[in-house]
Amino acid sequence: MVSLSRVLSVSYPAKPSVPCKTFSSSSRLVQKPRLNSKWRSMATEPDSSSFAPSVDSDSSADKVTAGFCIIEGPETVQDFANMELQEIQDNIRSRRNKIFLQMEEVRRLRIQQRIKSAELGILKEEQENELPNFPSFIPFLPPLTSANLKVYYATCYSLIAGIILFGGLIAPTLELKLGLGGTSYADFISSMHLPMQLSEVDPIVASFSGGAVGVISALMVVEINNVKQQEHKRCKYCLGTGYLACARCSNTGSIVLIEPVSTVHGGDQPLSTPKTERCSNCSGSGKVMCPTCLCTGMAMASEHDPRIDPFD
Amino acid sequence: MAGVLLWVVCPKGNATALLSLIPRSGSKPKKRSFNRVSAISSAVANPARSSEQRVYDVVLKQAALVREQRGRRALDLDLDLDKTSEKADGFTDWDLLNEAYDRCGEVCAEYAKTFYLGTLLMTPERRRAVWAIYVWCRRTDELVDGPNATHITPRALDRWEKRLDDLFEGRPYDMLDAALSDTVSKYPVDIQPFKDMIEGMRLDLRKSRYMNFDELYLYCYYVAGTVGLMSVPVMGIAPESKASVESIYNAALALGIANQLTNILRDVGEDARRGRVYLPQDELARFGLSDEDIFRGQVTDRWRNFMKDQIKRARMFFDEAEKGVSELNSASRWPVWASLLLYRQILDAIEENDYNNFSKRAYVGKVKKFASLPVAYGRALMGTSKLI
Repeated sequence: MVSLSRVLSVSYPAKPSVPCKTFSSSSRLVQKPRLNSKWRSMATEPDSSSFAPSVDSDSSADKVTAGFCIIEGPETVQDFANMELQEIQDNIRSRRNKIFLQMEEVRRLRIQQRIKSAELGILKEEQENELPNFPSFIPFLPPLTSANLKVYYATCYSLIAGIILFGGLIAPTLELKLGLGGTSYADFISSMHLPMQLSEVDPIVASFSGGAVGVISALMVVEINNVKQQEHKRCKYCLGTGYLACARCSNTGSIVLIEPVSTVHGGDQPLSTPKTERCSNCSGSGKVMCPTCLCTGMAMASEHDPRIDPFD
Repeated sequence: MAGVLLWVVCPKGNATALLSLIPRSGSKPKKRSFNRVSAISSAVANPARSSEQRVYDVVLKQAALVREQRGRRALDLDLDLDKTSEKADGFTDWDLLNEAYDRCGEVCAEYAKTFYLGTLLMTPERRRAVWAIYVWCRRTDELVDGPNATHITPRALDRWEKRLDDLFEGRPYDMLDAALSDTVSKYPVDIQPFKDMIEGMRLDLRKSRYMNFDELYLYCYYVAGTVGLMSVPVMGIAPESKASVESIYNAALALGIANQLTNILRDVGEDARRGRVYLPQDELARFGLSDEDIFRGQVTDRWRNFMKDQIKRARMFFDEAEKGVSELNSASRWPVWASLLLYRQILDAIEENDYNNFSKRAYVGKVKKFASLPVAYGRALMGTSKLI
């Protein structure tokens, strides 16, 4: 278990390291690369293979991750091919532990960063809300918070009350039969050239149907909007799956070996089934990494964990 | 060097003729088609090879390749049979290929809505080809400009280039590469513009300032001119066109550059917030401006004069590009004209914003966009009547 001990012996640094990136100036621009100077200086190194920009913590930790490259090749998943199953499970467990601890560190660092930038008077463009708000599922409405939920309730109830009042009291009083200047239901139907059967609909049934149609279409609108919002967060290239179909084996994972068969001698023998071999491109899985989302399936591959951006 | 397009700067600072390539924020290469540029040779006492000359070499080479293929086949489409048969070994699953093209279309519709609408004006085959090219270019651009740009290394770009070589040889890596691989087997697209675009990405990693026009021109060629060169074989040249192939490619190049300049002029503020200035430093100095003024983001009279100058130059590129649209295949003229006219309008929008490209985004409204379509159609019909 040599490799396991090597992995476990690499511990995260005990002292919190000073972040050497300047986040504050570009903290709002989530989309853009924040580390302009960082990757530019990296780019000038002839073959910088370490992917972690921060120079402090990862020098020892990255014997294994030193080979990371965001464009994968056929040999990418072969990194750990020599491990036994138990070894792999232990490795997974120790790495997840490390990730958890490092996320915690990032959270604490971000808090410190915020404190320091407030001290130095560096302005942030927007202040964070104390309470999170939820985007509304109904299109065109502003996001909901606990505060304006009260406003929502009030608007909702008053609208309902108003409509009931209008329909029950005001309209009959004004003899607004259909809002079309005093025509009765039967006259309206005949003027629309619809079958007269419609004019004999029971008012209770009519109002029930109308209400049901309204409710059902409203629910549909909300659901569609919900789906759209979720889709918006998906990586568009892999449609949220994180993987793209391997082109060499057309998503099957195996490549058929074609052997030319001579029909001159022994032409009567039936053809044997073709041999297949594992596709070297995708190592048999039929899928390759989506380089846009780095297999996260999210449109923004960066972490959406609030520990990373506690103030966003 | 014959046919080098060079412009001479008037000492008064009225840089009417200077083709300055304003540094681009490196995103969203526009796939526009090109027009013909009649190459004018101007005497320039510059012993070293300028960027324009080097770019023109590429144009000549492309044109030579096309002429060779045109000699073999009279039609616009050149089916390279060798490539097709080689590819057939690895990828004959047509359902997956169609799905790949559809995915390319979805990506295009998501990230470039107006451009997507423009592609709907093309024939279905060309549309798919343009989508595949768009997706490859966008993926390449995202390597240095997208969510994972912090992890980009030269090694990643080398690998990406290797994937490009493989897909041109009929061995695509993933399904989106496969769509492009199929496209290049159906149309006589050369690999050089693609490689140049990757080179442009490498350049973008290193540089965030451009000292003069020459540097900018090269950069703009890398990220936008190449797109023009990529799409000429897809758009196709009209069989009855009497223009030289070089001039058509030159026009395409000019359209790419014009688009890039427009992008740059529109996004000055956005780029500045990322610490990048894509305007030539010597011209800024000539107008009494510096990076500080850009970062400060205040519109002053000096800024207005500078912008007027830059816009004028971008318009000149559009004019050059216009000369070549009529030489394209008749089915492709309408979308190309439409894109040209729409993009020109962005320059108008910048002017209407009082040259405030720091805080306002120059935007062409839907109404104006729709109104351009019939105008583009009209100009597309005129077509080869504008020939000599």
